Amino acid sequence: MSMTVILGAWIAVFLTFGIFSYLYKDNPFYKTAEHLFVGISAGYWASIFFWTQIQPNLFGRLWPSSEFSAESLWYKIYNGLSFLSTSVFPPGGIDKGHDMHLSYLIPFALGIMMLLSLIPKLNWFARWGIAYTVGMAAGLRAYGYLNSNVLGQIKGTAASFTDPNMPFFSLTSVSTFNSLVILVGTITGLLYFYFSKEHKGVLGKASKVGIYFLMISFGASFGFAVMGRISLLIGRFVDLIKYSAGDYNNATLWVLMIMLIILGYDAFKSRKTPPVNEEAV
Amino acid sequence: MKALEDLILKIGKVDRRWIFLVLAIAVFIPIIKPIGMPIRATETTKVVFNTIENLPENSKVLVSIEYSPSTKPENHPMTISILRHLFRNNHKVFVTCLWPDGQFMAQDALKQVAEEEFGKVYGEDYVFLGFRPGNEAVIKGIVSNIRKLYTVDVYQTKIDEIPLMDGIKNFKDFAFLFSCSAGYPGTVEWVQYAADPTGVPMSSGVTSIQVNEVMPYVQSGQMKGVLAGMPGAAEYEALMGQKGFATSGMDAQSIAHLVIVLFIILGNAAFFIERKRSRKY
Repeated sequence: MSMTVILGAWIAVFLTFGIFSYLYKDNPFYKTAEHLFVGISAGYWASIFFWTQIQPNLFGRLWPSSEFSAESLWYKIYNGLSFLSTSVFPPGGIDKGHDMHLSYLIPFALGIMMLLSLIPKLNWFARWGIAYTVGMAAGLRAYGYLNSNVLGQIKGTAASFTDPNMPFFSLTSVSTFNSLVILVGTITGLLYFYFSKEHKGVLGKASKVGIYFLMISFGASFGFAVMGRISLLIGRFVDLIKYSAGDYNNATLWVLMIMLIILGYDAFKSRKTPPVNEEAV
Repeated sequence: MKALEDLILKIGKVDRRWIFLVLAIAVFIPIIKPIGMPIRATETTKVVFNTIENLPENSKVLVSIEYSPSTKPENHPMTISILRHLFRNNHKVFVTCLWPDGQFMAQDALKQVAEEEFGKVYGEDYVFLGFRPGNEAVIKGIVSNIRKLYTVDVYQTKIDEIPLMDGIKNFKDFAFLFSCSAGYPGTVEWVQYAADPTGVPMSSGVTSIQVNEVMPYVQSGQMKGVLAGMPGAAEYEALMGQKGFATSGMDAQSIAHLVIVLFIILGNAAFFIERKRSRKY
């Protein structure tokens, strides 16, 4: 097995135990793993976004190789940029299969405006970019939710109670009973969130039924959340067992032992150290 | 009776770190020594299986990968089983990613299934389009004009030079979509912006936490079944007759659930005993 694979296994084991060690208490192993995760994630995302979107889809449309002309002013600017970095701006234009689209200067400008939020005097420029993003997202989502979550759901769950072919009770398919449960659950659940009238009398009773539906839903969510977390724990344990093998120089056992000794020594030392009297300080 | 109540109260006050340790042992032992609990496919898993089984040979199927290593134990077995099913039935597979890390997950699954198990030819049997940032906008791009969004594949080969991409213009050119999702953007967005507006059938494999969120789409017929977390993946492995990671993790999953249920019962019992005693005095 190659040295890099073994080293990767040791790092994976260290980071896994580092995160798990938080269950005991906050400690330097946990802090190291946490900071590494945050830092590497940010760097990784920035790099991926740049090389999959900004370079090929933005710069690739502004300076495509298919329309390269060393004489044009536009490509003279490009050659100047190429002087800064040939990997981002390769000589002869960017070959990603695009034609030239100068309209992409607008998102380019909006992106730069968002970066200007780092400069206090010019940070108002960022509002333009944010306004565009918020507006576009709101427009996109309004359509999606209305179509799929409102109309689609109503259409999909509406059932004909007079249909003679529909069974009265079935756990796995559409039935009169299931349709009644959905109907009662939806109406009482909505009534619980109706705050324009005091929840007394019929409204109070209906909203109480709504609470029970909500509680069942939260219970199911909690159950699924637990199941998900246990699945992830199983995944980590399987990897730890794999890395405990001799092929990986018993990484799991060594890292666990070293961490336990250090944390144990720390616990022993802090037990011996008398607590600081804050009033005296 | 009083002794039993005292014992329950004592357990109710136990340091949470002991609970973590008990849970870790409960997960660890079944991984080392599997019990082999039976796995029976639920209706939602069967629907996914049957939908793929009933696709005509050589159907063009889009597989979208929207998860990262953090949910690999839940999502990855699903991806592997689905790819196996698609390649076994000689379908043409197109892989996209809405998450940057999904690219590496997809690469791993394609290497294992397409290359090593089935010896499929890249560009003729499957295409790996890779990741594009933009969340819903990427889905909208695939729906309207996939060639504008993906001018090159993940290996920087021009789309026009890939034989399998001939005749693929937009989402309607696919016979089926499978989204393997761990959150946003993922299954919900595919339903809202692709499957519902175009009528192309889709199924999904989701993490346990997402099940409650996507189940309404399954029940209303907007999605053809769902693989729900690690149990869903294990059920699919059972239907495929090829045991994998998910099947091996199900024993630990079941035992861990029993332990958690036991702790919930004991915790509640301790709470009620304490309340009863405090009222008495």
